[in-house]
Amino acid sequence: MTVDWSTPFVLSLPLAIRSLELLFALSVGIQTLEFWRLRPAMQNDGLWVWAIQRKDIPTPWIRLSLDVLFTPKMFNVLLLSRLLALISMAAQGSNLLNVSFLFVSNLAMLVRWRGAFNGGSDFMTLVVLTGLLIAQVANYFTTSDMAWRAGFWYITIQSITSYFMSGSVKLLKPEWRNGSAMIIFLNASIHGPLRADHWLRKPWVAVVGSWSLILWEGAAPLALLDAKLAVVFCIIAALFHFLVFWFFGLNRFFWAWISTFPAIIWCAGQI
Amino acid sequence: MTIYWVIAYFLVLALTLIYKTPIVQGPWLFLFRSFFPNWKFFHAVGYVPHLYARAALANPKAERTWTEWEHLYPRTSQSFWQLFHNPVTNLGLAQQNLIDHFWADLNDAPEGCDPRQFVSYQMVAHFVQGVLKHKYPEHSHTQFELRMLLDNASGNVHTHVMLTSPEEARL
Repeated sequence: MTVDWSTPFVLSLPLAIRSLELLFALSVGIQTLEFWRLRPAMQNDGLWVWAIQRKDIPTPWIRLSLDVLFTPKMFNVLLLSRLLALISMAAQGSNLLNVSFLFVSNLAMLVRWRGAFNGGSDFMTLVVLTGLLIAQVANYFTTSDMAWRAGFWYITIQSITSYFMSGSVKLLKPEWRNGSAMIIFLNASIHGPLRADHWLRKPWVAVVGSWSLILWEGAAPLALLDAKLAVVFCIIAALFHFLVFWFFGLNRFFWAWISTFPAIIWCAGQI
Repeated sequence: MTIYWVIAYFLVLALTLIYKTPIVQGPWLFLFRSFFPNWKFFHAVGYVPHLYARAALANPKAERTWTEWEHLYPRTSQSFWQLFHNPVTNLGLAQQNLIDHFWADLNDAPEGCDPRQFVSYQMVAHFVQGVLKHKYPEHSHTQFELRMLLDNASGNVHTHVMLTSPEEARL
C-alpha cells in the first residue's frame, strides 16, 4: 500500500467537530474522575486544604462565595455536573449550554488548584474549551462554518505554538544541544532515576533524541502546509506524548494535546 | 492569504524568543495564568528546589530527638493503565509544582520578608505536618528545609539550603 500524496486531503468539518468533541470529552472526563479520587487530598491532612488556599483570593466577597462552592458536598456536585456536561457533549455534541458550563466550572477548578493542577495540560484543556466557546458564541453572529473556523484556528495556532515554542527554547539551551538535559530530566522524573545501564543514558542516544525532538518541535508550523503532512505530524506527536506519559507520568498531556489534532488536520486542509 | 498570516505569526513568535518583555504579576493573574501559557516545558537545567523534612520525638526528659532529614520527593511506578487513570502520580506532580511555586515566592520576596506569610509556605508546612504525622504518630515537632539541588547527567553535583523552617510544635 502506498500513500497518494498527489490527491488533496481535506478532513470534513462535521467529522473534525465530532472527533474534537469526543476526544475533548474523554480528556476532561479522565481529569474529572481523577479529581474525584483525589478528594481526600483536599481535606484534613491533605496537601490542598481550602482553609489555607482561600488566602490566595484577594477579593472578600469572591472568597466567601468560593468558601461555599468548595465545601466537600458542593465540590462533589461540581464534579458530577461536569461529568454530566461531558456526557452530553459526547452524546449530543457541543452547545452553548454545556460549553459555557464547562468553561465557567473550569475556571473554578483552576482556582481550587491555585491556577493549575498539572501545568501544561490545564493550559491546553483551557485552549480547547476556549476554542469551543468561540465557536458557540460566534455562531450567533455569523454562519456555523465561519464560527467553527474561528474556534478551530484558535486551537490550532495555540497547539502548534506549544510545539514550536517548546522546541525553540530547547534549541537555545546548550544542555539540550549536547543531550545532557534529557538525561537530567529523566533522572528527576516521577518514575526516575534511570537505571545505571539504561539505554537512554548512552550519550549518542541522548544527543540524537534531543536533536530529533528540537527539530521536530521547531518544525511544527510546517504541518499546516498540507493536511496529509498534518496527519503524519499528529501521528508522531501522539507517539511523542505517549513517551512523555511513559517516562514522566503525564497522562493528561497525552489526552489534552490529542484533542487538538482534529483542529490541526482540518486547518491544514484549508490553507 | 491565510498562509502569510501563519508565517507572520511564527516570525513574531521567533522574535519573542530573543526580545524579553516585562513580567506582569498579580493575584488574579496567578490564579488565571492558564490563559497566558508560555509553552516552555523542560527547558531550563539548573538548581531545582526539593523539600526535606524531619520529626522530633520527645523523650521522658522532654528533650527532642530528631530523625534524619527525609527527602519528600514523589516517586511512582509505571503502568500502561495510568494513561487512563493516574491520580496518585498527578498528585505527586502537583506536590512538586507547589514546591516550585514556594521557591518562586521566596525568590521574589524582598529582603527581610517573613516567608511564613506566603500561602505556599503554609501549604508546605501543612503538608509536612500531614506526612510526618502519618509516619511518626508520636512526634512532637516538625521542621523542613527547602534545598536547591544541581544535577548533571551523572547525579547531584551541588546542594545548598535556601530556607530552614522554625521548629514547629505538632498541631
